[in-house]
Order: sequence, then structure tokens, then C-alpha cells
Amino acid sequence: MANQETQVLDEIIVSSRRKMLTLGVASLAGLAVGASAIRANAATAYSDSDILNFALNLEYLEANFYYLAAFGTTIDVANTASMNAKALTITLSGTVGTAGTVTGGSKVPFTTIPAASYATETAVEEGKHVQYLLTALGSSAVAQPAINLSTSFATLAAAAGIPNGASFTPYDNDNDFLVGAYIFEDVGVTAYHGAASLLTMSANLMAATGILAVEAYHAGLIRTAINAIDPTGTSIAEYTNMISTLRASLSQAGLLGVAPSAYDSNPDDYGLANTPVSLAGGPNVTATRITDADPTNVIAFARNTTQVLNIVTGGGAVSGTTETKPAIGLFFPAGMNAGPNGFK
Amino acid sequence: MDKLSTIIKNPFSRRKFLAGVGASAGAVATLNLAACGGSGSGGPSSPTSPPPTTTTYTDADILNFALNLEYLEAQFYLYAATGNGLEASDTTAGSASPYQTAGTVTLGNAAMVPGLPAAQQDILNEIAYEEQEHVRFLRSALGSAAVPMPDIDLSFFGPLAVAANIVTSPTSFNPFDNFDDFLVGGFIFEDVGVTAYAGAAPLISAAGVAAGYLTAAAGILAVEAYHAAYIRTTLTANAIASGSGAAYPPIADANLVETLRATLTVGNSAAPSTTGSDETTLTVPPNLTTASSIVPASPTTAIAFARTVNQVLHIVYGSATVGVKSGGFFPSGANSIFATTTA
Repeated sequence: MANQETQVLDEIIVSSRRKMLTLGVASLAGLAVGASAIRANAATAYSDSDILNFALNLEYLEANFYYLAAFGTTIDVANTASMNAKALTITLSGTVGTAGTVTGGSKVPFTTIPAASYATETAVEEGKHVQYLLTALGSSAVAQPAINLSTSFATLAAAAGIPNGASFTPYDNDNDFLVGAYIFEDVGVTAYHGAASLLTMSANLMAATGILAVEAYHAGLIRTAINAIDPTGTSIAEYTNMISTLRASLSQAGLLGVAPSAYDSNPDDYGLANTPVSLAGGPNVTATRITDADPTNVIAFARNTTQVLNIVTGGGAVSGTTETKPAIGLFFPAGMNAGPNGFK
Repeated sequence: MDKLSTIIKNPFSRRKFLAGVGASAGAVATLNLAACGGSGSGGPSSPTSPPPTTTTYTDADILNFALNLEYLEAQFYLYAATGNGLEASDTTAGSASPYQTAGTVTLGNAAMVPGLPAAQQDILNEIAYEEQEHVRFLRSALGSAAVPMPDIDLSFFGPLAVAANIVTSPTSFNPFDNFDDFLVGGFIFEDVGVTAYAGAAPLISAAGVAAGYLTAAAGILAVEAYHAAYIRTTLTANAIASGSGAAYPPIADANLVETLRATLTVGNSAAPSTTGSDETTLTVPPNLTTASSIVPASPTTAIAFARTVNQVLHIVYGSATVGVKSGGFFPSGANSIFATTTA
């Protein structure tokens, strides 16, 4: 279904394929460049609160997805399932910005214990992340923005080229839920990773590091589950490659035309396709790709806020080489919420 | 690229130890753990004379500490995947390192895990490659400051398994003999790797942050978490498929490893999944409405745990003794200014 969002996505995919621009950081020189590129795209007067609020927007998104999939309710409304799982019922105490509603989502009719138990565990943990950030930010916490958990998945799936993508929903069965979860988890890793070096207070850094680790556990969990179900990549594992390609394109566009020579020529997002590796100088052997990382040094990718925004808004954060502010689209139909110097 | 040596020479990057690494006077504790310690003789290691209570360290010291752990992980996974270890050229000393001699690997049972189907061999290949690349990255980042590989004892899995009450004889546990035992062997390291990087990241200096070392450490931390998630998820899924934890003993073995690690973690020896513990027990969800426990994290905040350098050493030395400078997987100690446990 063509609309403004899909047109933006289509243009980005086409232009990115033509340019074959990619992001990667392979050496310390590259790291230094990467770090300054991350800083260059951040507001000059940001604070730790701005960074944590950016994370809070993402946690609102993830937590609601998992609560809806696992329990059939949003994070602020308890039901029997959420209470049985001892998931927090979040008082939406954030006030900065414009409060919005969550649309879409429904309880997945799970039939397999692994997928069901992962959904339940992850929902509980993401709820705690929301609460942690709300408590830490206090009166500076942003309100939960409008969140689209209904049509966003089909829009993304179609843009990624997933078969029958225009009718994709993550809520109809175990495997589709895993694909829906895949859309978020590696993004969470890259977002917290990008934010880590920007935080100034040690306590905030420690918390962000600890949440980064959990996001990576979640991503590893989902990638392991999908790989186990489809080790040869004929179904949902192949979809991860498509989603990663799309995310890498959106992420690259978020770099606002920064010269590709500054980065290695590899994308900043990998699906589950196997890859050849050389062990201790030996001939290439086949390896899985449970870990989503830069293959030249196997360090997880980091993204700046523009890159992350461009992914979660489906291309709404950039227009060519200029930023679009506020970034609006896809999961955030009214954009994120932020303080006056924050990221949106 | 030699930014790190520039930072080492810069006095502004030197700082005193933060709390948790330096020991306070008189805080020497001994725990009597049979069969822990490198000799396998059944007694605790003898403490050395108490080390200085404070010292200064650099970003290079932090990265070199991580490098010691990566040497250990890389050797384990490479042997499991190929039957061979790191190339010699990946173990040598940087020209400016105070440690100049690369160690040797005591193999024990180390060998290529036999007869794996492609799907499992591919996993071993991935993790081995990634740990190898971590070794190479840290060595490249450290340049002339890189420490060489210390002596590594891969026969310690046996005594460790005895200490954990997994088996009664050290010859009865071999993480190289099949995939399930490999999962338990890898499990010993992976959550520890996450907590080690989580504890080390906030110690990097401001200059190190600007140079990208925090980003690098955080990025390696994430990869360790991907690895740990793979192992924990696979153990859990195998138990679910077997019908129960009782029907799949490796998951209970992993939990025994957690219990042992908790015991060794001086300063937080709370049993797994009890208040304040740094470990989360692996559970086997029995139905469609029970959560799994893949992620080791605080039950209050769902934030992952962090360990101090000392706590990591206690685990890899297999000793809760303060003042210990070697043992366990590092029979000659880590090549690190942190090598002696001070708390």
C-alpha cells in the first residue's frame, strides 16, 4: 500500500543500493572518526537527561510491543496475564512533550514454549527498563508518545521485501512474533552503544552499559531462536537478512552524506546469513552470524540518534543530506518526545 | 596507530584505583574451597604478602586485563572448533610491555569437538572467530603496550567441575567431548565476560573515551552478551525440548557453575537469583505463560550485572582467597598489574 512512508523508504532503498554506502568501524582510527561522527550529529547542548530520554522513547516502544504480544495489554494497563507474569504496571509519569496513545498489537496465540517464554521474559524486563528510566529522570522524563504498533510492521516488511510483507503482522503466530522482535532488538543495541560515550555521569554510564548488555542478550536470544528454527535460511532467517539490509540503508541515510571513505565498506546491520571466516590462519570455514557486529573487529555497531531515528521512523529523520526535525513516521507517528535540546 | 602509547605518557590519564579494586587494610579473607586453585591438590592457594592498597592504572591496563580474558576464551573456542589454538603471532608481547614472554597452553582434553553436524560446527566457528578477532583488535589497539598471552591451563575444567559438584572426579568432565559439554564449558566464561566489561567500562579515562576505547569496550561487551545469550538460550531450549530440566543435565550443570561463581565472587557471594546476586539461575519454563530466564540481570531494574577486576580474577583463578596471584585457568597468573586479588 503506497503512502508517504513507503515512498520515503523506497527512495532510500533505491538510492542506497546505487551508492552501496555502508558504515563500519575497523580500527582505532576508524573508532576515533566514528566517535566524532556520532558527536557531530548530536545537539551541542544535550545533557545526560536528553540521552536517557531518547532511550526512554525506545523503551516505551519496545515494552509496549512485548507487553501486547505476551499479555495482550499495554504497559500501563494490568491484565491477568501481565499480573501472572509479575510484569510491572507502569504509571505513565513522564510529562515532557506530548502524550500519545499506543495503537495496534494483540496477544500472540503462542503454540511453542520457547517463543512464548522469551516474549514473557522480555516483556517483564523491558517494563523494568521503562520504570528505571522514569524513576531516574523524574520530572524530566518524557511522556509516552504516540506509538504505532499496527501498520508499522507491514510497512517495514513490505519495504524489506518480505514475501506478503504488506499483510505481515507479528501478532499472529510464534515465528512472526520472532521476526517482529528481530526488528527492534539489534536497534536497541546500537542505540545504547552509540549513547554510551556521550553520557557524562558515571552512574548513568553504568546503567546504560547494563541496559546495553540486556539489549544484546535479547538480540542474541531472538537471533538464536530464529537460527534454530530456520538454520538454512529459507524462511524467517532469510527475512532477517532483508530487515537488516533495510535498516542498514536507513542508518546510512542517517549519516547525512558523510563521505563513505570514512567508514569501511560494510553495512551496520547483519541478518542471520552464514558467513565465511578464517580461524587461526586456516582456510575459510562457515560460521553462523548470531552476533550482529562489524566483522572486521567483531565489535557491535553503534549508531547516532539520527541514524536510530531514521530507522524507527522509516526514513523520517532525514531528507537527502539534511535532518528532518522532528522525525516522524512508522513507529512514531507524531515523533518522539524530547526536552528542548533533546533528540527527536 | 599508537594513540594508546600517547595516552600512557599523558599524566592526566592516570588515576587512582576506584573503590572495589584497592583493598582496605586487614581485609584478607580465606575461603576453604576444596579442589580450587591451580594445583588441584584440594587445598586453597596460599596468599602472597599483601599488595599495595592503592595504585594508579591506565586505559592500557584496563584493555590489557580484558586481553588476558580474551586470550583464554579464544584458546578455548579455537581448540573446540578446530583442534588448534591461536596463531603464535597473536600471542606475542608488544615491544613496550613489561611482560615479554608469551605463555603456553596446557591442553588437558582440548581438542576439536568431534562429529558435530554443520549447524553446531558453524556456531563453534562463529564464536571462535569472534574471540580471535577480539584478541586481534585489543592487540592492535594496544600496539607496543600489548601484553603477551599468559600461561593458560585448559585442564582446569576438570577441577572446576569438581569444585562445582558437577562431577566427583576431574576426569569426568570434558567440555571438548560433545556439544552439550561444550555449552557448559563456554557457559563458564560468557556471563563473566559480560560482567567484566560492564565493570571495566566506567573506569576508562576521559581521554580514553575521546579516543574511542569506551565505545570499543561497550561494543565488545555487547558481543559477549550475544555469545552468552546463545549459550543460555540453547541450554534452555534443549531442556524445554527434553521435557524438563531433569531430563537435560547440562542445564543443571550450568546452574552449578553459577553457584560456584557466586561462591568465588568475593564481595557478592549471594546464591544465584537471591537478593543482590550477580547470577540468574537458568530455569525451564514448563508452559506457555511462564517466563524464561535467559538474561542475567537485576530482578528489580533488569540491568545486567557488573563485576570488579578482583571478582573476575577470583573466578578465573578458581579461588576466593585475597592476595592470590595465580591459579585456575591462569596457572602463572594474568599478565596484568591487576593480577593479584586485593579484595
